Amino acid sequence: MKAILKISFIALFFGVNGFAQNKELLYDFYEIPQSLLVNPGVKTSQKWHAGIPVISGVSVQGATSGVTVNNLFANDGIDFTTKVQERLLDVMKDKDDFSSTSQIEGFTVGFRGKNRPDDYYSFGMYGEMDIISYWPKDLAILAFEGNGGNNIGRTFDLGDLNLRGEMVNVFHFGINRKVNSVLTLGARAKIYSSIFQFQSINNSGSFATTQGANNMYESSISADMQLQTAGIRRFYDIVEEDTGTTRKDVTNLFTERVLLGGNLGLGLDFGFSYQLNPQTTITGSLLDLGFISNSKDVWNYTFSGSTTTDGISVFLPEDINNVDNDLWQELIDEIDQALPHGENESSYISWRPVKVYGSVRYDFGEGGSSLFENCGCAINAESGSNRDYYRNGVGGQLFMMKRPRGVQAALTAFYQRRFGKAFSLKTTYTIDKYSYTNIGLGANFQMGPVNFYVLADNLLSYSNIADSHYASLQFGFNIISWNNN
Amino acid sequence: MKKLRYLGLLAMGLLFFVTSCSDEQDFSQIDDLNITPTISSGLFYFESDEETINTAGALSTFYSREATFNAFSERFVAEHVLEGSIGYVIENTTSKEIQIAIQFLNDDGRVLDTEIFDIEADPSGILTREVFYGTGGKSLDILVNTTGFRILARNLGDGTSESSTQDSKIILQSGGEFLFELQ
Repeated sequence: MKAILKISFIALFFGVNGFAQNKELLYDFYEIPQSLLVNPGVKTSQKWHAGIPVISGVSVQGATSGVTVNNLFANDGIDFTTKVQERLLDVMKDKDDFSSTSQIEGFTVGFRGKNRPDDYYSFGMYGEMDIISYWPKDLAILAFEGNGGNNIGRTFDLGDLNLRGEMVNVFHFGINRKVNSVLTLGARAKIYSSIFQFQSINNSGSFATTQGANNMYESSISADMQLQTAGIRRFYDIVEEDTGTTRKDVTNLFTERVLLGGNLGLGLDFGFSYQLNPQTTITGSLLDLGFISNSKDVWNYTFSGSTTTDGISVFLPEDINNVDNDLWQELIDEIDQALPHGENESSYISWRPVKVYGSVRYDFGEGGSSLFENCGCAINAESGSNRDYYRNGVGGQLFMMKRPRGVQAALTAFYQRRFGKAFSLKTTYTIDKYSYTNIGLGANFQMGPVNFYVLADNLLSYSNIADSHYASLQFGFNIISWNNN
Repeated sequence: MKKLRYLGLLAMGLLFFVTSCSDEQDFSQIDDLNITPTISSGLFYFESDEETINTAGALSTFYSREATFNAFSERFVAEHVLEGSIGYVIENTTSKEIQIAIQFLNDDGRVLDTEIFDIEADPSGILTREVFYGTGGKSLDILVNTTGFRILARNLGDGTSESSTQDSKIILQSGGEFLFELQ
């Protein structure tokens, strides 16, 4: 029991520590090539770029809309059970979540079309892990307090169990086209190579113990619950067998899944940038419109049915001649029969978490010369109609993401400042369910052909990171060519 | 000058990042977590009409049955139950005094404990009894070693009279409320 609890808490706060997927600092930060991944229609000015493998794009994000690590684990002398009761059970709601997203880019390359210089092509591979678990409020209360005492008459919602997670490797190819001097469109096709996926997202049912119609207590349960998994069973079997080659077997299986050997899926990204006037630009993107077909290594667990029991009952005269002594086992069998549970290997489709970005931006403060006047690409260098010409940008961004329990949104205000070609800064203020005080800062450095960027969110929380509801860090190195030479 | 200001801003941001810190955390506190839910459940319900009692005759046992009951001796329950109580509610609307005895039996059929209820004839009102196990009550060993029970229902009156109460019956309800320590 202790081990299970420890694993649960560790998963809750470290593995599944609520991370949103919002990349508000990277969005429309077009000096960074990875901004193409959050808007394939972002303005591109470089001639080509290549990410330094594995470190071109690393991002980890974490957030919790409820309790923080510090709330529970601060060495404050308060009894831990009291903290769990007062800061977790009494406060958190079933809409609170713990989620985590991490991404690492294997490689990325982009280049401008030789015959069609208005087109910028990019392709690459990145791995992504995304896990979200809503706080199973009623189930947690049932586990901590039980169905007795003050909870007699209370209905526990079994639908509170709602979680989803996956690890995928994504192969992608995108086209970014400057349609005219004011409009840039982009699209990206993706092949998802699933490493594992699990979801338990459409559960429903209830459990209640009440004063019985016959007996003192009557317990009723109605459940329609399912946990679907794909890609997990074989990892589980390898670890369970523990043959001495476990590490090698896990690595081999992982590699196979990364390289299209597991369940596959398809997805699309779309995006645009439109210049309303020389100083005002609107942008938008729709990401991960796709699915994965899970048919290999599927292992599902189901639990459904309904029953009511008030214990063992004897009615006379009906039962006067019933000499069966196994009443307890009969009761258990009846409940088992009414609540069938089992495993199956049925295929299923898992949808990717769709994300939408939108922004409006106002540029000001003429810089005297275009940042990319020597780029040689002749694409975005028209002086006066080009926002690179302006040193400052200010605006707002909207982010929305489809989550199992609805749309999760974030609103961002930003200010960006460019210092020649050498570096630029972007600072953001974001409000969402995780934090009202999220101030982020990103910097992009261009040292010759070497590009380095670092973006960090919720800086105010860094004074006590364990008490943070949200934290994210992204960084990466690229080689970018602006010139013909 | 402006450049310097922005450089300062950047430096401040990096400073935040570099100097990020955290209050002291003690993750071993999880070992102190106490999870003690209270579990309630109906246990045993017994009901007999007056005609059945009369059929058995005066001063006779009209119902006797032994049955398995492993709820308390299930390993998980036996290992984690801290204390608890079993409540009984009995209502007799028949015209005769009735005695109900519930015996708790172990694997060998030995009687570990007996609860005896003598209920007056109608109008007897409702008899309630709560039996505590654990601290301050009976030994928990009675429950965790119980694998069956025997119920004996005796008519202590005549075998002919009928109560003026419509649909007269003897009814026994029981339910348990137990405190568990999961961690």
